[in-house]
Amino acid sequence: MKGTVPLVKAQETALFGSKAVGLGQAIRDGLPVPPGIALSGAIVEAVAAGNDRAIKQVAKTARPLAARSPCRSSAVDEDGAEASFAGQHLTLLNVPSSEHLGAALSEIWWSANSDSAISYRQRVGLFTRPSVGVVVQALLDPESAGVMFTRNPINGEDERMIEASWGLGEAVVAGQVIPDSYRIHRSGDVLQRTPGFKKIAIRTLPEGGTFEQQVQPELVERLCLDDGQLAELNGLADRCEQIYGPARDIEWAFADGKLHLLQCRAVTRSGS
Amino acid sequence: MTGAPVDALQRVPLFADLNQREVKQIARLFKQRTFPAGETVVQEGSGGAAFYVIESGEATVFVAGKEYSTLGPGDYFGEIALIDEGARLATITATSELGCYGVTFWDFRPLVEANGVIGWKLLQSLARMYREARAG
Repeated sequence: MKGTVPLVKAQETALFGSKAVGLGQAIRDGLPVPPGIALSGAIVEAVAAGNDRAIKQVAKTARPLAARSPCRSSAVDEDGAEASFAGQHLTLLNVPSSEHLGAALSEIWWSANSDSAISYRQRVGLFTRPSVGVVVQALLDPESAGVMFTRNPINGEDERMIEASWGLGEAVVAGQVIPDSYRIHRSGDVLQRTPGFKKIAIRTLPEGGTFEQQVQPELVERLCLDDGQLAELNGLADRCEQIYGPARDIEWAFADGKLHLLQCRAVTRSGS
Repeated sequence: MTGAPVDALQRVPLFADLNQREVKQIARLFKQRTFPAGETVVQEGSGGAAFYVIESGEATVFVAGKEYSTLGPGDYFGEIALIDEGARLATITATSELGCYGVTFWDFRPLVEANGVIGWKLLQSLARMYREARAG
């Protein structure tokens, strides 16, 4: 069963989904994506069905990665449009070991077959059998993370827009904090930096899962990115635009002092 | 492979006319699913594409916001969605961790389409259920 490949070798959207193939391409292009593996929709379904061989194959492939891993869904559909299913399919931020992957993949498979996902499919005229690949990566425990538009999605200005907070970027994506916001000209000049109000940081737990950590009072309104980090993000925006074209929507994280690219996709609509 | 227990499926009225071999074919299509306590398992009015048999735990059924009944091991729900892709008729909430076996419309339909005998027996079951419902 061709069901698991290192992320760098994920090239077939019909097997692994658009998120996995996009991240695989980013690694091949030399972008700083955390290492990982891509699981096909077929092997995810086999694991959900309790197929022992598939469960062992996935656990064996994932074992060298790290003790803990995030598992992100990667929709496999006829148009490969992961963005169409944003929020419908589950992402598990911290699966505690390769032995827990079977249960995690089953949850993700069922998330694509949940009543809410089915209702969504009916609403958008995609009442077809769902198939969901999964990306399993090395776990990061970021100092700060967030999102970046390489071009202002609201007014089209040629500037980077960055939102950032402490810990995992899900606090920004899910609107759990008022993030710091930055505008940077592509020359690197910082046009604006506005501290947010970041009372919580999402952190990982050793036994799996995440928790909301209260941020120390003196850090709540302190900017979480310095000039050097903003320059690194601007450089990442440049490279992503060179490779994929203008107007990218990027998820990123700083962990162990290094910048990591978590996702890079086209801006599909204003403010998305 | 896991699949659902055959004896649990034989208690489902929709499958009552099927012989053991036919029920086994259906049982193999099921996958295990666990819902944490407090989770809404199905939502009244929502689209649905899966049928579940409860393996362990308890769930409460609400219709139009009113508590209607309690479900436990061996009970089942959502079988009509396997056929008509229609909206859920009740809300079901897990009152404890709920272990289920579930099968989706997409797995069930190809089996029935490929097996006219099973399809005919399901049709007969539906006709009987319809008569019973009319008789009140």
